[in-house]
Amino acid sequence: MNNVLILELFVGILVSFSLLGILIWAIKSGQFEDNKKAMDGLLFDSTEDLQNAVRLEEKRKKMKEAKEASKEEQSKEI
Amino acid sequence: MAKVPCSHCRLEFDESIMIQEKNNDLYFCCNGCQGVYHLLKSENLDSFYEKLGNRVIAPPLTSTNPTQSFELESFRQRYVKTTKEGFSSIDLIIEGIHCAACVWLNEKVLADSDGVLEASINFTNNKAKVIWDDEVISLAQIIDKIRSIGYNAYPYQRGSEDVKATKTRQDYFLRMSVAIFASMNIMMIDVAKYAGFFSGIKSETLELIHIAEFIFATPVLFYSGWIFFRGAYYGVKNRIVTMDLLVSFGATLTYIYSLAILFKLINGHSYFDSVAMIITFVLVGKFLEVLGKKNAVDTMDKMKSQIPLEATIIEDGAKKVVGLDEIKEGDILEVKYGEKASVDGEIITLGGLFDESSITGESHVVSKNLNDKIYSGTINMGDVIRYRATKDYANSTLSTIVTLLEDSLASKPKIEEKANNISKYFSLTILLLAIATFIGWYLYGATFEDSLINAISVIVIACPCALALATPIASLIGISWASKRGLLFKEAKFIESFAKTSVVVLDKTGTITEGKLSVKSVSNTIDSEMLGKLYALTSSSTHPISVAIKRYLEATYHDIPNIELENIAQVEAKGLKANWKNQILLGGNSSLLKDFGINVSFESHYSLYHFASEGKVIVSFELDDTIKNDALAMIAYFKKIGVRVIMASGDNTNVVSRVASSVGIEEFKSQLSPIDKANLIDTLKAEGEMVVMVGDGINDVLALSKADVAIVMGSGADVALAIGDVVILDNSLDGLQKSFYISKRTYKFIKQNLALSLLYNLITIPFAIMGFVIPLVAALSMSLSSLMVVGNSMRIGKNDE
Repeated sequence: MNNVLILELFVGILVSFSLLGILIWAIKSGQFEDNKKAMDGLLFDSTEDLQNAVRLEEKRKKMKEAKEASKEEQSKEI
Repeated sequence: MAKVPCSHCRLEFDESIMIQEKNNDLYFCCNGCQGVYHLLKSENLDSFYEKLGNRVIAPPLTSTNPTQSFELESFRQRYVKTTKEGFSSIDLIIEGIHCAACVWLNEKVLADSDGVLEASINFTNNKAKVIWDDEVISLAQIIDKIRSIGYNAYPYQRGSEDVKATKTRQDYFLRMSVAIFASMNIMMIDVAKYAGFFSGIKSETLELIHIAEFIFATPVLFYSGWIFFRGAYYGVKNRIVTMDLLVSFGATLTYIYSLAILFKLINGHSYFDSVAMIITFVLVGKFLEVLGKKNAVDTMDKMKSQIPLEATIIEDGAKKVVGLDEIKEGDILEVKYGEKASVDGEIITLGGLFDESSITGESHVVSKNLNDKIYSGTINMGDVIRYRATKDYANSTLSTIVTLLEDSLASKPKIEEKANNISKYFSLTILLLAIATFIGWYLYGATFEDSLINAISVIVIACPCALALATPIASLIGISWASKRGLLFKEAKFIESFAKTSVVVLDKTGTITEGKLSVKSVSNTIDSEMLGKLYALTSSSTHPISVAIKRYLEATYHDIPNIELENIAQVEAKGLKANWKNQILLGGNSSLLKDFGINVSFESHYSLYHFASEGKVIVSFELDDTIKNDALAMIAYFKKIGVRVIMASGDNTNVVSRVASSVGIEEFKSQLSPIDKANLIDTLKAEGEMVVMVGDGINDVLALSKADVAIVMGSGADVALAIGDVVILDNSLDGLQKSFYISKRTYKFIKQNLALSLLYNLITIPFAIMGFVIPLVAALSMSLSSLMVVGNSMRIGKNDE
């Protein structure tokens, strides 16, 4: 009986500390900087918003690549 | 006439004055709303309205400030930074954000623009960070995009204070999250522990529960509670007994005792739960304080964004752009249309038109003649003017207001100090009682272990949970009740000051009056042809008087003929002149007509607008600011509850006295500058009054910051909204009355709760000292006292009417 309890306790604490770790990571990465937005995000975010976020991420990547390329070109010209 | 909501902003107006699109069954309150609605439709952004739900937003903002200034080199140096990838980055404050849908719309429009790499808007403080590629899009184009959808953006400099406040907030938030997370887990484990206490529990199982609680309580004490240890250390170093010392001492003592039980050095129950609860409760309070400081920094950033960046001075006949600090007394300055005057001065060219709403609160444009005074922060609404600086920047009106506001915000949290003092004395008393209990029992002959248990019982039973909960839980219920009635209380502490109010200072424009001109009387009827001409003339100006006449014509007449006017010209500070088939049309004040040789015999105390054609006056209008419907009832309510009412306005004495007498206010002050208003509040406070200030404009900001409670109408300026302690979202005076009632009722319950928890302590602590209460029962009764306080608070919203 106690062995089962010990195991449960161990798993429970492990899971809850993992969740705590995720929470700490989320706070440190600024996801809760805007508390109102975080709450509204839960209510309103849809698949459309997720797709937009992916598109924006792709756009950022392309823009960064283009900027890098133009920088390289400029340095070659010099 | 039935009221219908605007298809864009959702504000409701009479159907007769709405712009109708019958084919689509759409109604708009203004051209701005109509424009933005169709823009969003064409850009496939109409899901904005789904996200908006039933919420109401303000009609689109129109900005007079040209975006070319965003391209100036001095602007770039001050605000634009370059990222390591070579993109440009700026911090902006977005004006006009009301809800999550507004944030979504702005972010979406910017993110969809070519060249914009990142646009993230913080909904809480309306600050935005935009990163873009200068080779693809300019900053002016980005600002234009924001303006096209009805919002406005100002740059702000992220100062070291902002960075520090953000860092502190994040640090406290992290510590508080860990504390709440661990405490919630401990509470769940507690259910098993206390259930086992009554129904029996194996000692091995209890041991496991203690281990689990130890694992959760340890980070709370040493990580979350680190702030208290640090505060206690500095307190001891400076020989001051701080609340931090008491919290850390009490929690550590209980922790050590529980550790001794865990390692079987003594027998009994552990109290890791009490350790976590004490730290968590006090930490939440501290976090709210930190949040208050961050809000003060955000408010100052909004105020500072109102300051112009640079000024054009005329030196030896040539124009020169200089920073504000370089302007000296006597310099000649030039201000173009839409620009703000940077320092105070006197006009030296022919008169102009100025929007002085930031100083007087009046929405009317004021005409300025030779030698008239110009105040910094006011906006030129006419042609280019030149003026001589009479003060340097640091001593000018706007700069003085900003400095005073900064001081006022820094010294605001006096109530918090009072609350801290009370808990400090409470904690000190309890700690001394616990020490006395320990010494008393030990000297009486009890063992060290029993003496310690009794001392711990005193600390646990007096754990300030019920006392700590008494105010916040009642306030929380009161605040959520208020929010359902459209009243936004920013912090709970204002409920107490609100309930104790003895004087209410009311601003005139926007608070007692609508702040919008409307036609009061018309001299005669207008025939169809003249109607068309007058409508065309008023439509070609954005002056508040023209807008009011146009609105009146739209509401009164149907089928107004469409007439195209030619050579429309603005006559400085007087009105408009236009041509129609060789006829000269004039629309404006009496002095405009006099200039064209037309005699006007009409006289009035109100603003006048004459329309003349071919040298004859066709029609004259009297215009006045409308008094809000519920003003009389509200003043009567204040008189009934014995609150003194003072009206304070920047407007002239005649107008202020007329408005005051028509709503039944006996005490009024007129022609007050923002600093005069703030002085009035200071004087009242020095007389020992508890002052509530109600306002809405930038001119009220300083007075609002000085008042014990600042109430702001929802339609007010962004800075005013930021500084307000209570925001009345629907702008109604009925809301003001409701907020008084809610605060008074909530405060009554706060007092009841405090009495209940103190009574509980008075009864239980003597028992604990006498050794009749073991720590476990102490912990249970402590929870019961908290439940008692929560249960009592639930009754607050019961009596809604």
